[in-house]
Amino acid sequence: MKGRWLLVGVSAAALLPVIGLLLVIFWMGFWQSGPGEPVVYTLNHYRNILTDSFTFKTLLNTLGFASTTVVVSLFFAIPIAWLVERTDLPGKELVFTLMAVGALVPTFFTAMGWVFLLHPRIGVVNRIFVDSFGLAQGPFNIASIIGMGWVEGLGLSSIAFIMIVATYRTMDPSLEEAGRIHGLNIVKTLRYITLPLTFPGILAAAIYVFTIGLSAFEVPAIIGMSNKIFTFSTFIFYKMQPLEELPNYGVAGAVSSLLVVLALLLSWWYFKVLRFSSRYAVVTGRAYRPKLVELGGRGRLYAWIFLGLFFLVAKLLPFFLLTWAALLSYFQPPSWAALSQVSLRNFYGLPWDLLLAGARNTLLLMLAVPTLTLVLCLAISWVILRSDLKWRIVFDALAFLPHAVPSIILAIAAVFVALFLVRNILPLYGTLSILILVYTVSRISFATRIINNSLAQIHPELEEAAFAGGLRVLQVMRKILLPLLKPALVYAWLWMALLCYRELTMASVLVTNQNNITLPMIVWGLWLGGSLNQAAAANLVILVFMLPAVLLYLTVGRRSRLEEAL
Amino acid sequence: MISVSGVHKNFKSGEQTVAALNGIDLQVGKKEFFVLLGPSGSGKTTLMRCIAGLEKPDAGSISLDGKTVFSASPRSNVPPEERQIGMVFQSYAIWPHMTVAENIGLVLTHGPARLSQNDARERIRHALGLVQLDNFEKRPARLLSGGQQQRVALARALAINPKLLLMDEPLSNLDARLREEVRTKIKKLVSELGITVLYVTHDQVEAMVLADRIAVMAHGEILQVGNPYELYRNPKSALVAEFFGSMNWLRGKVLDKYCVETEIGRLEVDFRGEPNGNVVLGIRPEDMKIDASQEILRNRIEGTMAHSTFVGDQMIFEIRVNDTLLTAKAMPDGKKPEGKVSIYFPKEKMIVFPDISSD
Repeated sequence: MKGRWLLVGVSAAALLPVIGLLLVIFWMGFWQSGPGEPVVYTLNHYRNILTDSFTFKTLLNTLGFASTTVVVSLFFAIPIAWLVERTDLPGKELVFTLMAVGALVPTFFTAMGWVFLLHPRIGVVNRIFVDSFGLAQGPFNIASIIGMGWVEGLGLSSIAFIMIVATYRTMDPSLEEAGRIHGLNIVKTLRYITLPLTFPGILAAAIYVFTIGLSAFEVPAIIGMSNKIFTFSTFIFYKMQPLEELPNYGVAGAVSSLLVVLALLLSWWYFKVLRFSSRYAVVTGRAYRPKLVELGGRGRLYAWIFLGLFFLVAKLLPFFLLTWAALLSYFQPPSWAALSQVSLRNFYGLPWDLLLAGARNTLLLMLAVPTLTLVLCLAISWVILRSDLKWRIVFDALAFLPHAVPSIILAIAAVFVALFLVRNILPLYGTLSILILVYTVSRISFATRIINNSLAQIHPELEEAAFAGGLRVLQVMRKILLPLLKPALVYAWLWMALLCYRELTMASVLVTNQNNITLPMIVWGLWLGGSLNQAAAANLVILVFMLPAVLLYLTVGRRSRLEEAL
Repeated sequence: MISVSGVHKNFKSGEQTVAALNGIDLQVGKKEFFVLLGPSGSGKTTLMRCIAGLEKPDAGSISLDGKTVFSASPRSNVPPEERQIGMVFQSYAIWPHMTVAENIGLVLTHGPARLSQNDARERIRHALGLVQLDNFEKRPARLLSGGQQQRVALARALAINPKLLLMDEPLSNLDARLREEVRTKIKKLVSELGITVLYVTHDQVEAMVLADRIAVMAHGEILQVGNPYELYRNPKSALVAEFFGSMNWLRGKVLDKYCVETEIGRLEVDFRGEPNGNVVLGIRPEDMKIDASQEILRNRIEGTMAHSTFVGDQMIFEIRVNDTLLTAKAMPDGKKPEGKVSIYFPKEKMIVFPDISSD
């Protein structure tokens, strides 16, 4: 009995901060004055969202940005998912691996690459156009809503792909064949059978990507902020850490609250659509071998061109540009003259002390966050699926919240709490501990979902047999559940460790000094400070550090688990 | 109705090429109920899918009702939607996003028939009547039970008035009792409608109940074609014989035109053809006669009753002769023979094949 209450207690302790941080955000939105002054409550901030022209423009920007993200990611994800799942394209496993690894490439990395490529003034492509055609201005502008949506969409096409592949896989191909054989041609089969059946899955992916786009921080921060183009996330960030004025917690709180409500609504819609689409998933008794579409020689060629272009544009081009920039002291398009200036000076000049401190902190985060998250989520999953607690549905709902609430908002709430509510009791502000805590909270949904899926497949009788033999709850946990859950736990641990490595969004709010600086923050700091070429060099350095972890993930990871967690 | 000649089909799995169909020739007559019978991996489903147009053979030709629908050279291929075939899939392939009526109506209004909504409605009602699902039109398809889905699939296939109906293991997902019931109904329905049926199954009882003729397949080849009685009584190979129920096999050597020296003694046999040298001799359990009398006549061999089991409608005996265990079946008569028994081997019931394994 003691063990049972311990597990319930641990779950509650993990989930209380979630609800606490959320309430703090709603509370912040009504503050007229800053902390320290007498508290006055107001509705002005909410009024301002609609009446203040700058705030309203940010709202439109955000919607435009998120929509572009959806269009771009689906444009690539749908055909690639179809090629991988329903055709005889050779090398599919490779494509799948590349897409999964693609999801791990930091977005700030590709965003910087795109700035070097398409910035209106320094971008290589624009410079070539200006020089060859004598234009006054480059034709492309990455520092626009469409441009930023393009970069974010390329990054998220990995996630969209993984979700849509599942839709295609669960569809019984004989549903399409039944249409063909009874007299429908290919076009009508697509129109009346394939499309309606896959639509819910694709819609679910679209909503998921849109939700991420609404609160995405890295691309708007890298590309937009220096060009005064704001989306919600950068707007909130700016209000928290303005350059000239005092932080305006009230506005940040109001906008955050709006964003949270939007994200919650979207997530609710997402789960509704997902449940609807799973009704279409046909589980046939036998292991059918779906008939694959024969692409033929020409079809394969086009398919590989499409895939090649995608990887070139999404990953390789930004990487090349970043490498080129890292080798130059100031950025210029490739030429013979520029080639003679190539050197490793940027690498020598990097703030190596800071990088080492950052590496140490990042490594600590990569070890602590996944471990802590898994311990907490094991308890949560056990309470949700195995206890007879009346309130376990509440645990289930709370564990889902961090998925819906944008992570930058969790971080802001945590800073507010650390600065003004618990400052004298718990000195969290500016420490590594606050990073560990907030990162952990933000991963609770992901880890709970993975463990739930695995735990649901373990028959409760396995545990009951152990109880019957006299073992107690915690012993059953250690001797029976942990070994059975191990593959899922190892996978989740690695994936979360890698996400920790590339995490910039929450760090941008939480990191305040050299004691808790992380590697991505150093890159971003160099970038914001205008040392673009040094930032590029730093980026390459940390990418190299990341490689061993990625390789470990590839040897251990199985593709199916990622699908379960989305 | 169906004419298949020289059809080959290979599948590539990774580096390996597997021959799924290895030179198939087949003729199916009008209004015939024809069953393709074979274990899984024998190529029966692939052959059906080639006839449907869902797979393209690598070689050979297929014609339906006198019209060539596929030919490898000169290359021609009629797409499945123009072959006027009805098909019931193993998974039923009922479209889950539609109602029962829409499942049937879609192919009527959007297929080559291009019926108006009113005409389609009449046809849907008629088709559902055939499978006894009257008034199910508005039911969402995903709320149907397995048996109902199976009937909707049949109604959809029949609604287009096909010349040919293909059925791919349509009963394998139903429970045993329902299977027997549906089996009889299908047989009755298609004979009333007078359509040609090609039916795939791995269940020999199902095949024998339903078929006018059966083709037994294994390893991508047709081993034998015939009506159920022929296949049971006159199998052309041990494999076919085994497929249609259990067999006692005895190794032996041909002595002369009438006689085989087997491992349990000398037996007189009706030879078909002129085998010589080593043979295997097969006899079905129900064809051996057992009694306790010690009277030795021709083709009687003495053995010891090892075990007898009463299973209701029959007795199953296990009899030991030297080191060989034989299985026999008989109608139960309340007696349980023990000890020494004599087994009678009717010579017209025994079949003889050359013994390939001893070469």
